[in-house]
Amino acid sequence: MKYLLISLQIILSLLLPLLAIGIIRQIKAKLQNRIGPPLMQPYFNLIKLFKKNQIFSHDSTWIFPLSSIINLSIVLILSFIVPWLPFNKSVFSGDIFLLIYLLALMRFFTIIGSIDTGSPFSSFSTSREVSLAVLLEPAIILALLALAVTFKTSDLFQIFNYAYSLDLIKIPVLILSASSLFLASVVEFSRCPVDDPTTHLELTMIHEAMIIENSGLNLAIVEYTYSLKLLLFYGLIAQCLTHCILIILNLSILLQSILCLLIIFSLLILTSLIESFSVKLSWHKVPDFIAYALTFSFLAVFAAIINGVSL
Amino acid sequence: MNITDFFALGSACFGILMLGSVNLRLNLFLYSLQTLFMALATINQSFKQVNIEMYFICIFIIALKALFIPYFLNNVLNKIDIQYDSNVMIPTAIGMHISILFLGISQLLSDKIIQSMPSIDSIGGVTAAISLLFTGILFMLLRKIAISQIIGFLTLENGIFIFGVSITKGLPLIVDLGVLLDLLVAIMIAGLFVFRIKSSFEHIDVTQLNELHEN
Repeated sequence: MKYLLISLQIILSLLLPLLAIGIIRQIKAKLQNRIGPPLMQPYFNLIKLFKKNQIFSHDSTWIFPLSSIINLSIVLILSFIVPWLPFNKSVFSGDIFLLIYLLALMRFFTIIGSIDTGSPFSSFSTSREVSLAVLLEPAIILALLALAVTFKTSDLFQIFNYAYSLDLIKIPVLILSASSLFLASVVEFSRCPVDDPTTHLELTMIHEAMIIENSGLNLAIVEYTYSLKLLLFYGLIAQCLTHCILIILNLSILLQSILCLLIIFSLLILTSLIESFSVKLSWHKVPDFIAYALTFSFLAVFAAIINGVSL
Repeated sequence: MNITDFFALGSACFGILMLGSVNLRLNLFLYSLQTLFMALATINQSFKQVNIEMYFICIFIIALKALFIPYFLNNVLNKIDIQYDSNVMIPTAIGMHISILFLGISQLLSDKIIQSMPSIDSIGGVTAAISLLFTGILFMLLRKIAISQIIGFLTLENGIFIFGVSITKGLPLIVDLGVLLDLLVAIMIAGLFVFRIKSSFEHIDVTQLNELHEN
C-alpha cells in the first residue's frame, strides 16, 4: 500500500503540473474568445524542447546548467515534503522550516544561475526578483508559522491530518494563511497583476528574463520546475481551504480528495480570471501589492496568538 | 473563541483592510462589509442574551449603516466625481501595518479590561471594538479628503457600538435608535457639506480649507 501510494505520487507529480499550466492557458484563451492551445500543449512543448540542442552563452560556466538541475531536484524533494495531494498524508512527513529553507535555496540557485550567463537582461531581472523576494519571504514564512502555532506542530502532514473537531478559531487562521499564500503565489510565480507571464517585453518582465538564456533540455527542466512549484503552492492553499470545510463538516477521505482537487481547479480558474481582467501593476506599486500578502499573514499570526491565549 | 468573537474580529479585519486602499468606492464597500459583520456579531450576542430588541437594532443597522449610508455616499462620490484619495500622509501599506500593531495593543488592553470586569464573556468583541476605534482615528488622521473623514468617523462609531454590545447586556432600544438617527442625520448633512465644499472650493482636501478663498 505504501509503495503504491509513493508510485502514485511520483506519477501524479510528473503528469499534473503541466496539465495545470495547460488549464490556465485554455481558460484564458476561452475568456478572450480564442480557440487557444490544446490542453496537452505544455507536454508537446516539453517533448519538443527535449529534442532541441542546448546553446550556452560563452560567458557562462558550469554553474548555469547545474543550477536548473539543482532546482529540479529541490522541487522534487518539495513534492514529497509538502502535502499538496490529499491522499499522501499517512505516508510522508515534512517540516515547515525545511520547506522555507528549501524555497530560499531554490531562489538562490535561480539567481546565481541567471547571473552566471552574463546577460544584462538576466542581471536586471535578478535584481528585481531579489528585491521582491526580500519583501515576499516574511509573508510566506509568517503564514506558515501561523499554521504551525495554531496546530502546535511544525510537521505539515500532521497539520493537515488532524482529527475532526468543531474549533472555530482555526478557521480564520486557515483562511488568512491561505489568502496570504495565494497573494504570495501571484508574486512568486510572476502571474498577472505583478508580471505578465506571456509577454517578452524586456522592461516589464521579472521571471521570464531570468530564464531567457535557457534553451533545449535546460529550458524544459526550468519550465517543469516552475509548474510543479506552482502546483505545490496551490495544493498547499487548497489543503488550508479544505480544512476550513472539514472543521464544519466531517467528510470521508474520498470526498476530501475530490474537494481538494476541486479547490485546486478553482484556484487555477481564479488565476486565469485575474490574468484576464486585471492590468499589470506599475513597478512601484508592486510593494503595495505584497504588503497585502504581509497584512494577511500578520492577521493570521494574530489569530494564532489569540488562539494560544484563549487556551 | 465563540461566534461573536469571530464576527467581531472579522469586522476589525475589514477595518484594517480599509486602510490599505485609496479607492473610495472600495473603502465604502469594505465599510459596508465591516458593518454587516458587526451586525452579525450583534445578532449572535442577542441570541445568547435572549434580547428581542437587539434584533430590531440589527435590522436597522443593516438597513441604514450597511446599505443606505454607503449607497448615499456613493451617490455623493458620483456627483462630485472623485474616485481616489491620492494624498495620503504615509504609504497605505505602512498604515495597514500600523493598524495591525494597534490590533495587538487593543488585545492587551482588552485583556486588562476583562481582568477588571470578569462578567464580560466576549474578549474578541472588546478587542475588535478598541481596534476599530484606533483604525477609525488613524483613517481620519491619514486621509485628506472629506469623504474619507466621514468613513473614518463611521468606523469609529462602529467600534463604539461593538464595545457597547460586548460589555453590556445591550442598551435600550430607544437609545440605540436615537444614536442611529443622529448618525444618519450627521452623515446626510456631511454629505451635503462635501457637495457644497466641492462646488465652492473646487476640491475637498480638508487640509487646505483654512486658506482664504477669493471669489
